[in-house]
Amino acid sequence: MISEIRKHPGQMAVMVLITLFLLAFLVVPVVQVVFVAFMDATTGGFTLLNFKDFFSTALFRESFWNSIYVGGMSVLLASAFAMPLAYFTSRFEFRGGVIIQGLGIIPLIMPPFVGAVAMMMIFGRNGSINLLLEEFLGINIPFMEGLNGVILVESVHYFPFILINLSAALQNIDRAMEESAQNLGCSGMRLYRRIVLPLAMPGYVAGASLVFLKVFDDLGTPLLLNVNNMLAPQAYLRIASIGINDPMGYVISVILVVIAMASMWLAFLALKGKDYATVQKGGGGLAKRRMRPIEMFFAWIIVLIIMTLVLAPHIGLSMLSLGTIWSYSVLPDAFTLDHFRAIFSETPEYMTNTVLYSALAGGIDVILGTAIAYIVLRTKLVGRQWLDYIAMSAVAIPGLVIGIGYLRTFFDVEVPGMDGQSFATWWVAIVIALAIRRLPYALRACSAALTQVSVSLEESAENLGANKLKTVYRIVIPLMAGGILAGFVTSFATAAVELGMTLMLVSKNADGPLAYGIYVYMQSAAGRGPGAALGIFAVLVVGLCTFISHVYVDRRQRALGMKRDD
Amino acid sequence: MKKSALGYGVAIFGAALVAGVLAAPVGAFAMEDKLVVVTSYPKDLTGPFKKAFEAKHPGTMVEVLQKKTSAGVKYIQETASGNTSDLMWASAPDAFEVLKNDGLLAKYTPKATGIPKNIGSYPVNDPAGYYVGFAGSGYGIMWNERYVKAKKLPVPAEWSDLAKPVYHDHVGMSAPSRSGTTHLTVETVLQGEGWEKGWATWKNIAGNFKMVTERSFGVPEGVNSGDFGLGIVIDFFGFSSKATGFPVDFVYPTVTTLVPANIAIVKSAPHPGAAAAFIEFLLSVEGQELLLDPAIRRLPVNPATYAKAPAGFPNPFKDKSIGAAVKFDVAKSGARYNLVNSLFDVMITYRREDLAAAAKAIQEAETALSGKSNAEAAGLVKEARALIAAMPITEAEAVDAKYPGVFTSDVFKKRKKASVKVPKRQAEVEEKWDSFCLKNYKDAQAKAEKALALLK
Amino acid sequence: MNQNVNLAGHGSPVGVDIKGVNLSFGSTHVLKGIDLQIKPGEFFAFLGPSGCGKTTLLRLIAGFESCQSGEVLIGDRDVAHLPPWRRDVGMVFQSYALWPHMTVRRNVAFGLEERKFPRAEIGPRVEAALDLVGLLELAERRPSQLSGGQQQRVALARTIVVEPQVLLLDEPLSNLDAKLRIQMRRELRLLQRKLSLTTIFVTHDQEEANTTSDRIAVIEQGIIQQVGSPMELYDQPANLFVANFLGVANVVAGTVSQEGDGLSFRSDDGAVTVALSAAGQGPRSIVFRPQNLTIQPAGQPAPEGLTELAGKVSHMEFLGSVVRYQVTVGPHFLLVDSAHQKGVVPMEEGTDVNLFINNELVIDLPN
Repeated sequence: MISEIRKHPGQMAVMVLITLFLLAFLVVPVVQVVFVAFMDATTGGFTLLNFKDFFSTALFRESFWNSIYVGGMSVLLASAFAMPLAYFTSRFEFRGGVIIQGLGIIPLIMPPFVGAVAMMMIFGRNGSINLLLEEFLGINIPFMEGLNGVILVESVHYFPFILINLSAALQNIDRAMEESAQNLGCSGMRLYRRIVLPLAMPGYVAGASLVFLKVFDDLGTPLLLNVNNMLAPQAYLRIASIGINDPMGYVISVILVVIAMASMWLAFLALKGKDYATVQKGGGGLAKRRMRPIEMFFAWIIVLIIMTLVLAPHIGLSMLSLGTIWSYSVLPDAFTLDHFRAIFSETPEYMTNTVLYSALAGGIDVILGTAIAYIVLRTKLVGRQWLDYIAMSAVAIPGLVIGIGYLRTFFDVEVPGMDGQSFATWWVAIVIALAIRRLPYALRACSAALTQVSVSLEESAENLGANKLKTVYRIVIPLMAGGILAGFVTSFATAAVELGMTLMLVSKNADGPLAYGIYVYMQSAAGRGPGAALGIFAVLVVGLCTFISHVYVDRRQRALGMKRDD
Repeated sequence: MKKSALGYGVAIFGAALVAGVLAAPVGAFAMEDKLVVVTSYPKDLTGPFKKAFEAKHPGTMVEVLQKKTSAGVKYIQETASGNTSDLMWASAPDAFEVLKNDGLLAKYTPKATGIPKNIGSYPVNDPAGYYVGFAGSGYGIMWNERYVKAKKLPVPAEWSDLAKPVYHDHVGMSAPSRSGTTHLTVETVLQGEGWEKGWATWKNIAGNFKMVTERSFGVPEGVNSGDFGLGIVIDFFGFSSKATGFPVDFVYPTVTTLVPANIAIVKSAPHPGAAAAFIEFLLSVEGQELLLDPAIRRLPVNPATYAKAPAGFPNPFKDKSIGAAVKFDVAKSGARYNLVNSLFDVMITYRREDLAAAAKAIQEAETALSGKSNAEAAGLVKEARALIAAMPITEAEAVDAKYPGVFTSDVFKKRKKASVKVPKRQAEVEEKWDSFCLKNYKDAQAKAEKALALLK
Repeated sequence: MNQNVNLAGHGSPVGVDIKGVNLSFGSTHVLKGIDLQIKPGEFFAFLGPSGCGKTTLLRLIAGFESCQSGEVLIGDRDVAHLPPWRRDVGMVFQSYALWPHMTVRRNVAFGLEERKFPRAEIGPRVEAALDLVGLLELAERRPSQLSGGQQQRVALARTIVVEPQVLLLDEPLSNLDAKLRIQMRRELRLLQRKLSLTTIFVTHDQEEANTTSDRIAVIEQGIIQQVGSPMELYDQPANLFVANFLGVANVVAGTVSQEGDGLSFRSDDGAVTVALSAAGQGPRSIVFRPQNLTIQPAGQPAPEGLTELAGKVSHMEFLGSVVRYQVTVGPHFLLVDSAHQKGVVPMEEGTDVNLFINNELVIDLPN
């Protein structure tokens, strides 16, 4: 260790700084929460009694299995959405490719809880669809009843994780893999089953585990759908209402973290040694063939059905934002622009806050992401892998737990020079919590980008007299720019729609971001329209940012010859 | 403020839930340039008041801290040593009682005139002078006109109506643990009808619940969108929804209480001048008229204001039937506050489906029984009803220090004293209640189904 | 390539001294006690199969690896503790490592910028370097718009423009097609002469090493097997590995023993016996090149003073200038080259033949 410090004082200092940051803003707050779960309420000593109580309480056991069930079913349903789309784009010359790419982004940029409100209007027991079904067929389908509603909303929201990962995996398969199988006499579905699927499996598993994780942890959706016999809402209800006397909220938080970590670990085990994509050269994707007209017809039908489902929250939200009164009817009674006028005149701070917080969080994320990726991939510092593990573990920490942990850890930390301002309730804490929550996304994007930069490009710069810092600045960062931007946008876009943690940390309206603003608006009868308008605004802003950066990254990669024109 | 890091952290957590400490310069007297208001009210309500007050007192900035009632209370408790808040502004009188008993409120006698002593049967101001009522709120039933028309439902008038079979799966309510206003609704019925009968009423109504929402606004939201037809809500949700244009209406049942929504000056408030000015503004004609705003719709405490009210706006000072039936016992409510919330959650919120299934079976059996005479079936149905109504604890136990102790004792303070008797753990108690109720609901369902089988 | 160089002014060339270098990656011992002196101005090649450690040795000189023991001196300066950017050695990477986000001109200017050259000086130097490699007109292109050969030249220009003390070339020709490779290796050699720049060249291709280098170090399993000029290595290999690695060799294992006044080699099976004038005794192998053998159909008179071996043609390959026969002699397969002339009909497979070896050309080596 000592010799390493001497050899690379700069690298070591960066690593220490990042480690301290992660410790302070991720590890310590989570440990604070974990601590209470193991504490005997009366003696303050260590106990497992709280966990015994958890498992001997029927309600908690039920919540536990419900959460697992919802997570699993959401993965299945999300797979049902994602697989045909990934199949069409990878296997055929399908004109709908652009639409499918769009489908891969749009759901992610809407807060799921906002989607839930809109989905109720469309799929609810007396939503548009069921009102129509009842009128014409006399049936009522319980799309949104209880756990069904959570599963539907979550699948629609998170299926892009599977779509994106699966498509990427399919695209990374070397065409020669398929051709050599054909050469050996394997074709059609058999080829797909024996060669293509196993090769694409790592991508699918990665996406599916992420969906499970996000669904398992999501608080906003069950809360808005009034489903309370699941773990995340139970934890929130316990902590928010009964509060300090009941350790159950903390116990549930710990269980949430453990299950999330376990699912990540399982996915990791399943993927171990199977990350084929990285050992293959070239790629180029599978051979695509033209669809027969009948195939084309069915493909379009499927894509349109999925598209309708996926866009339902957006359609519903648009109607809410443009409608006057929408009550027990298929469509709103009339349409108006008043809600948009209201948000622009009343609460511009929600929008500016969102852009400010998300941009800062995204900025912190790409700086940390680039630094961690560099330390892990380009240095030999002892323990560098752990930096990666810790940063990535944030993906498994529910926003709720982070929020609670921050309050517990930082409430009595005063911000210097701000006259008693507690750090936990300072807006900067929201930014840091957002950054921590979204760091895994940015880190993966940065790591992927750095992996693509050949080490020899850096060595040649060093060889020509540029030191490490100069090399990073002049060679590494410009070459990673696309990946960094992609990481920034992912962090930015998803941070802009984060609710669970924000709900815990926002202490005054003037500090609230959009998601919080929508939540607050939606707490009054007159606020539903403006809330929806704010939601539409969020979707548009985030969507636009994503689109612009996507175009930019694409152009740049083509210009650098890092991507073929195909 | 030096406590063990953990104990302090835990204790502070509740307050921190929504707390915001502001950079507050220590103000001089008279009109300060700033006013910090802790409130549970939504923006729709605070916004117009903030705007009007600032217009009237240029140079004074109103800073609003929006918290749930309980979090607001914790916030003021926790920050007492370095208080930065001027006003506590919320509905639930219990919250003010708690703060008053902790010595965290400053006495204030309003100068405004023309405000009667009582609204309904409830005194407008705290008799001890620590908090001031500025508006009245009552609880009642809200329904969606289109929904009841489409489903051919009668319009309800009383709580007990909601227990009728015709409303099965059409009613929504929020959990009392989630909202102070709902808690008052539950407590009002318990006090109006007595512990056993009151809970039986709630469970019978709950048998018809489509949903127990996690937020108090979830109920008007569900009724407004037509997700369910009827909801138990505080009046202003009904009025403001109606005013916004939703096809909904609202009624006060006989057993309800009109309680004042209150405001109080926090002890050692940094801006006492501005705080007093704000209270006076609230009670002024101008301030009272703001309550009639369609998005606010609370009952002004100044009877003169009703002259400007829109047609059909209820006037408790004229219509003596509103809120006159129950005398609300704040002390009793406070003593069992957490226990009632927990009981409701265990028996109803988390067991809604089991309860609804049992209620459905009983309702079917009763319908089949009507006009027939079958002693055995009638007996079974009666037994089933009794099982539903059975309570895991008595009223006496509910206020016995032993039970509420499980829910309210500050375990983190007590743990330092080894001599303190260890209270039962909340999870342990709740699990006992849960298995009691679950078994009863299942048995009730079985008996009702048996009765139905006998009648066929 | 344009030879109107105005890129000159290198100081006198320096040598590279490698003393007792040991380097391990974890438990893998990659370089084992390397000692090597590269003379100033020399064109020196590291030759060996892939994985032999030659690239690691090059990267050690460049500063990208560090050794556990030993030292590296560049012109008497111990560079072991200098980071790559202070070593002043220019390296051309196998992949060229051109930065895709910079134009050719900016790529070439990079090293000068890092060396804080005045702006006014950078332009002319870059142009001179590009002119030297004949790519001046492509200065504004991006690397992705260049062919492999052009990229190679840019990489070279980028390196030499900073006038390094030593030029390191890591398999620079391996990504080029055969014809271009031959052209480029000549140009490299000419350029090196022109700049009289100490150059180290890593390759696994003996022909490349032979045609460019003054001296070659043959490396295998992290050990320097032999250092010498291309011809020395070919004619006097120090061991069987070198003999086999450079050119084509017939190797027969057996024993050398005293026989009368002289020494005699006898293969283990007895099929090959050769009288030797001077050799070590005991178990040895003999090595001879295909062109050291003469081939004749059986029954023709034997030339004087040559050892005769009887065999049968088992395979024939036409290589253009020569016909290469594979002849079975007992259990051995010996390769024999016979110069080809128009009209000469080669011997068919299965033909009984006699082979003749000039004993003077046989090399004996320890097993």
